[in-house]
Amino acid sequence: MTGEPVTLPVTLRVNGAERPVAAVAPWTTLLTVLRDELGLTGAKRGCNQGVCGACTVMIDGEPVRSCLSLALNCTGRDIVTVEGLAPAGALAPVQQALAEGNAVQCGFCTPGILISAHALLRRNAPLSVDEVRAGLSGNLCRCSGYKKIVEAIVRASEARP
Amino acid sequence: MKIADSFVVAAPVERTWRAIRDPQVVGACLPGCEEIEAVSPTLYRARIGVKLGPIAAKFAAEVEVLEEEPPVRVVTVTRGEEGGRASNLRSDNILTLAPADDGGTRVSYEADMTVTGRLGKFGFGVMKKKAQSLASEFAGNLEARVNEAASGG
Amino acid sequence: MEFVRPDSIEAAVAALQAEGAACLAGGATLVAMMNADLVAPERLVSLRDVAALREASRRPDGTVVIGAMRRHRETAEETDLRDGQRVLREAAAQIANPPVRNMGTIGGSCAFADPAADYPPALVAADARFALAGAEGRRTVPAGDFFRDWYETALEPGELIESVILPPAPAGTVGSYTKLARVAGDFAIASVALALGMDGGACTHLAVAVGACGPVPARRRDIEAELLGGPLGNAEIGRLTDALAEAFDPVDDVRASAGYRRRVAPRMVRQAIGEAMQKLGETQ
Repeated sequence: MTGEPVTLPVTLRVNGAERPVAAVAPWTTLLTVLRDELGLTGAKRGCNQGVCGACTVMIDGEPVRSCLSLALNCTGRDIVTVEGLAPAGALAPVQQALAEGNAVQCGFCTPGILISAHALLRRNAPLSVDEVRAGLSGNLCRCSGYKKIVEAIVRASEARP
Repeated sequence: MKIADSFVVAAPVERTWRAIRDPQVVGACLPGCEEIEAVSPTLYRARIGVKLGPIAAKFAAEVEVLEEEPPVRVVTVTRGEEGGRASNLRSDNILTLAPADDGGTRVSYEADMTVTGRLGKFGFGVMKKKAQSLASEFAGNLEARVNEAASGG
Repeated sequence: MEFVRPDSIEAAVAALQAEGAACLAGGATLVAMMNADLVAPERLVSLRDVAALREASRRPDGTVVIGAMRRHRETAEETDLRDGQRVLREAAAQIANPPVRNMGTIGGSCAFADPAADYPPALVAADARFALAGAEGRRTVPAGDFFRDWYETALEPGELIESVILPPAPAGTVGSYTKLARVAGDFAIASVALALGMDGGACTHLAVAVGACGPVPARRRDIEAELLGGPLGNAEIGRLTDALAEAFDPVDDVRASAGYRRRVAPRMVRQAIGEAMQKLGETQ
């Protein structure tokens, strides 16, 4: 990088709370701020290229890559990480479904899967296997444990009132 | 990755050879070559800039002549490194000259290149196309230069 | 490196005039390249707050204008794209995966001009134009001239894409985008963007652009023009695919060899035309 980096103070709204960060460089991603500055280590740094999906968070209600989002571009947005799915410590239905379905192996992809699944389940209709697969197509599981993950999310979509 | 091609210049083999072994001529014909100096008759140093879409790289390169059979064949190796940016390139090159029709010269080249470091992350497929287009640009420039010299320009 | 976030096109263009400045659109490509240390712009000009770039609209004559910051997901769902223009919806729907479609923008993707990306052939087949804004003012460039070479476009330094403009598609035409990829959402091995109209066995509208088989989308308007007014049988389609093949210059890469691309692309064109004719209720 040439020249002096111009760092800026920034306040991000994460899981409903305003979180100030003193100095953020232009190239710093949201993922880095979440993990290294705010201690929210749920979102994972996998490929850092937007391919693997382990860093997926919601911005303004939509799943996006936190590794491809620059922190300075996220002010004024509503950011929800996997920690925000269970604010009071009780598991969200989608988390409960993955736990009950043994749909976790190493767990590295799980936070990203949960965010994508959460967005899918907001449609409030039973989901087909194909719909879940399409919805999770941006989340890779290196353990290749897709079957149980997809089944758990289908069940969660059917269980809702 | 390997690239190979040939082109014809309208000058006899001897004159074409002199042009190809003159670092100032080669430097002027090489796209992106910012400077070139002869350290010895068989070692040259050059600064070469390469651009592929938004990616720009500047290499400090060294060209060493390993073997030559004037005026028909020269074998060189090019090694380049990209300052602090941790990319390296190496290219093993063979250039041969042969008489062509009408008193011209057919120049054939083969190069076997490797790129490592940050630029190695970028797909080789397109890099090879870029290398081919740089080589054909070089050929066009050299041809124009030799022809210009031939016509006394 | 510095970061600026202008709130108008004029301010964005002004900010872009600095040496080493680059637009930040959705970040799906630029930030990935920054993370890989492939690029390091000296100034990032975020287009996030330029509201005008986020809009899409349909004019009474059927022209559709899509702001450069429209995301792939929005374009995939754009009901203003009708008839042959739907080629662009189908292309947008096949880019990457849901989270990336929520981020990536049509302007960002086109400015990067990956030869295996989905928008370039779709826009070339739709006869779209790019509206560009720079310090010298505004201009429009046909999609066929915008994509110039491997990762090179007609954008001048200090210029940005304001929108893409799709002309009205004749009523009753169909648009389709077919992509062959290793897995859904990957960059294309080869792709075919098509807009087709038929009337009583005669071709009334034909635009075919092949992606991922050269530096820019391959299209042969000369042959398309010759085929208008007649049937589209095996012989006619063969003339078109032969001509398209002359325009191919495919790469060998991890996705497929150049030879495979040359073999598969003409078959994809034939298949895409056949499927479009079926949709139109025409027999081949």
